[in-house]
Amino acid sequence: MSSLTLDARVAAVSRLRRRTWSTRALVYVALAAAVLWSVYVIVVADTDWARLAASSIGKTLGRFMEFDAALIPDLVDPTIDTALMATLASLGGLLLALPVAWLGAANITPLGKASYVFGRGLMTLSRSVHEIVWGLIFVSAVGLGALAGILAMAVRSVGFISKVVAEAIEDVHPGPIEAMRAVGANRLQVLLYGIVPQVLPVVLGTVIFEWDINIRRSTIMGLVGAGGLGLVLFRQMAMINYGGVATVILAVLLLIALGEVISHYARKAII
Amino acid sequence: MGAVAKRAAAPAAATYALEVRNLHAGYAGKEILKGVSFAVTPDDFFAIIGPSGAGKSTLIRCVNRLVEPSGGEIVLDGTDLAKLDPSRLRAARRHIGMIFQEFNLIERLSVLDNVLTGRLGYTGTLRSVLRLFTREDIAKALTLLDRVGLREHVDKRADRLSGGQRQRVGIARALMQDPRLLLVDEPTSSLDPKIAREVMALIREIARELRVPVLCNIHDVALAREFCTHVIGLQDGVKKFEGRPDELDERAMHEIYAMEVL
Amino acid sequence: MRSRAAPTEDPPDLAAALRWRRFRFPDTLYRHAALLTVLVVIAYGVERLDIDLERLPGVLGRMGSTLAQRYFPPNLAHIAQADYLHSVFETLQMSYLATVVGVLLAIPLAWVASANVSPSPRLGYPLARLFIMACRSVHEMIWTILLVAVLGFGMLPGVVALTLFCIGFAGKLFAEAIEAIDAGPVDAMRATGAGRTQIFVFAVLPQVRVAWTGTTIYTWDVVFRAATIVGFFGAGGMGWYLRESVQRIASQDVAAILLSIILVVLVAELVSAWLRKRIAQAIA
Repeated sequence: MSSLTLDARVAAVSRLRRRTWSTRALVYVALAAAVLWSVYVIVVADTDWARLAASSIGKTLGRFMEFDAALIPDLVDPTIDTALMATLASLGGLLLALPVAWLGAANITPLGKASYVFGRGLMTLSRSVHEIVWGLIFVSAVGLGALAGILAMAVRSVGFISKVVAEAIEDVHPGPIEAMRAVGANRLQVLLYGIVPQVLPVVLGTVIFEWDINIRRSTIMGLVGAGGLGLVLFRQMAMINYGGVATVILAVLLLIALGEVISHYARKAII
Repeated sequence: MGAVAKRAAAPAAATYALEVRNLHAGYAGKEILKGVSFAVTPDDFFAIIGPSGAGKSTLIRCVNRLVEPSGGEIVLDGTDLAKLDPSRLRAARRHIGMIFQEFNLIERLSVLDNVLTGRLGYTGTLRSVLRLFTREDIAKALTLLDRVGLREHVDKRADRLSGGQRQRVGIARALMQDPRLLLVDEPTSSLDPKIAREVMALIREIARELRVPVLCNIHDVALAREFCTHVIGLQDGVKKFEGRPDELDERAMHEIYAMEVL
Repeated sequence: MRSRAAPTEDPPDLAAALRWRRFRFPDTLYRHAALLTVLVVIAYGVERLDIDLERLPGVLGRMGSTLAQRYFPPNLAHIAQADYLHSVFETLQMSYLATVVGVLLAIPLAWVASANVSPSPRLGYPLARLFIMACRSVHEMIWTILLVAVLGFGMLPGVVALTLFCIGFAGKLFAEAIEAIDAGPVDAMRATGAGRTQIFVFAVLPQVRVAWTGTTIYTWDVVFRAATIVGFFGAGGMGWYLRESVQRIASQDVAAILLSIILVVLVAELVSAWLRKRIAQAIA
């Protein structure tokens, strides 16, 4: 009697395993098929291999290796420009992010669901639009130059900063807020003494984190004439001085690495 | 005979600092306070005891309207707090000091800054943004910190203190307001027994000196008996007992805590 | 606890207040120095970068009027063409392929780049970390520009650029997930004498599988966002049409394309969020 039930159970388990295994397999096969298809479309159909083989990829790559040391002294000023742009953009982003975070924090949003959804919508919009698109938008508003790049990066930073700040606001301890209300503080004082001290470390840490990311973004803002290492890069590309391009990229790498070190220690000091 | 009759025999000339009449409070569908009334003179130290869920915490918070009452009157020095509009309520709150179970300090600020926040109701917005409290305020804060025994910790960050020390900062903060009433919400629940008694003694001592009435929510009946002048027993939103600690006998205890016994 | 001393205390307290100063050396000094530095940097930056602050107040107004006059109404007919719709599909395929290849490459790379279980802690670890950092630090559009220079126009340079970007993005997150695992199973396997690869497969992978799946979907979302724009620099996909209409200064076409890009990215975000939720539920 017991062996029958045991067999039945083994059979049931095997059936279940086969079913889950086969659904899994189906998913993987579908994924693989999609990958192979895109490989075909992109690599096989779209790419002109004949032309590629004829062109001198090797030589082009080789030219990237020709490190252009003469360029280095000319990189100091643009590097400072890039760092400044990233700094201004991050601070501007913080400024813009604060009201957005206020709207998007469920516990202090002023008009209930409506303002909360609006705030969260702004956060999503900021993140969904690529910084280049923001750059193009701002060029038509303020013209070419550093300001367009900085505004574009600032608006792009709002998404992340405001999201983190809103979440920090939603996580505050209610106790200090209650205490401030109890001493007769007005709304602003409750905000300043009850909420701000609790979220300040998070806010500053996030701005510093975003600063590092903005250094990366500012390299592409040369497109909108924003100066800095990005503009140098575009110019070197235009002159087809691939060695120079490689040199600029190395400078960017160094700057970002330095930024990461500064960011790490600054965030530690804030806590 | 009983507590209520004894109250009525008290000198009619006693001016009450706080009178609570028929206080109701609750939220959607559930009523927590069902018509509580009592009166407090400046020399009183009232303890509110009762099982959990009796509404002790709600009662304390209704007095300064951190919780909105749904009915009744709360008369402090002649003014009915229940009827005040928001800005006048804020002004009234300046004179009500509150001490919390979890201390509710601003963790990242120094001890002195925490005590100074007690004066926020009196400080203009611009000054509070820049933390520019007046010299008099600072002097008063330093005096109070001295009084509660925290002179060496004045510039320390609040989160570096022990529980007992934090509660003393809370006491100093409440006293900064020159309060006409002290609301105390479970001041000792987060403290160990020896510290708890020290804190209760400190509150009683200062309240006596300054002749400030105290309304204290407490679940430790022994502490209530030792430090208070009057006890209110609350059960399920209803006042089941009011009287002096020595009147709190077995029968009264059963009445208050009946549900727990069940 | 001391009781109050004689009433002669008042003068000393006021004296104490006068002696007490907010600017206690050195802690508040650091904070105020930091604040001052920030202000100086801002002022210096505005000056040096030639930023015309006068343009700022009118920004929103100018954007609004530009939008209303030149960009409105968006030329939806422009994006309803078969070519453009095909390019949306191309963008999707580029993002897809780049994510798959990038993630597959990022997995072993993250393993070598993890501080706790790297198979080559002295040589491989710093090299892998460097490579991931390099991939991350170079903007995906820079990669695109470089690769278009090497490989010519088309989707291939786009995919390669996106793959490099993906390696940098996912690689870092994968490595962080590995570094956050519980050391217990790893030590247990080491104790049984298992080889490094076995440790990876049996002690590390099961712990990071969940986080990595979420990261992969998130990475695809970010890669897709970039894929919509790589065409701007010649790499195929929707971005090419954007560049083309910008160069023709056909603002209404630009508006239409931008709208379609934003729409498509939002859809991708919704799908990605939904997928991550479904997977989180399936795991739980």
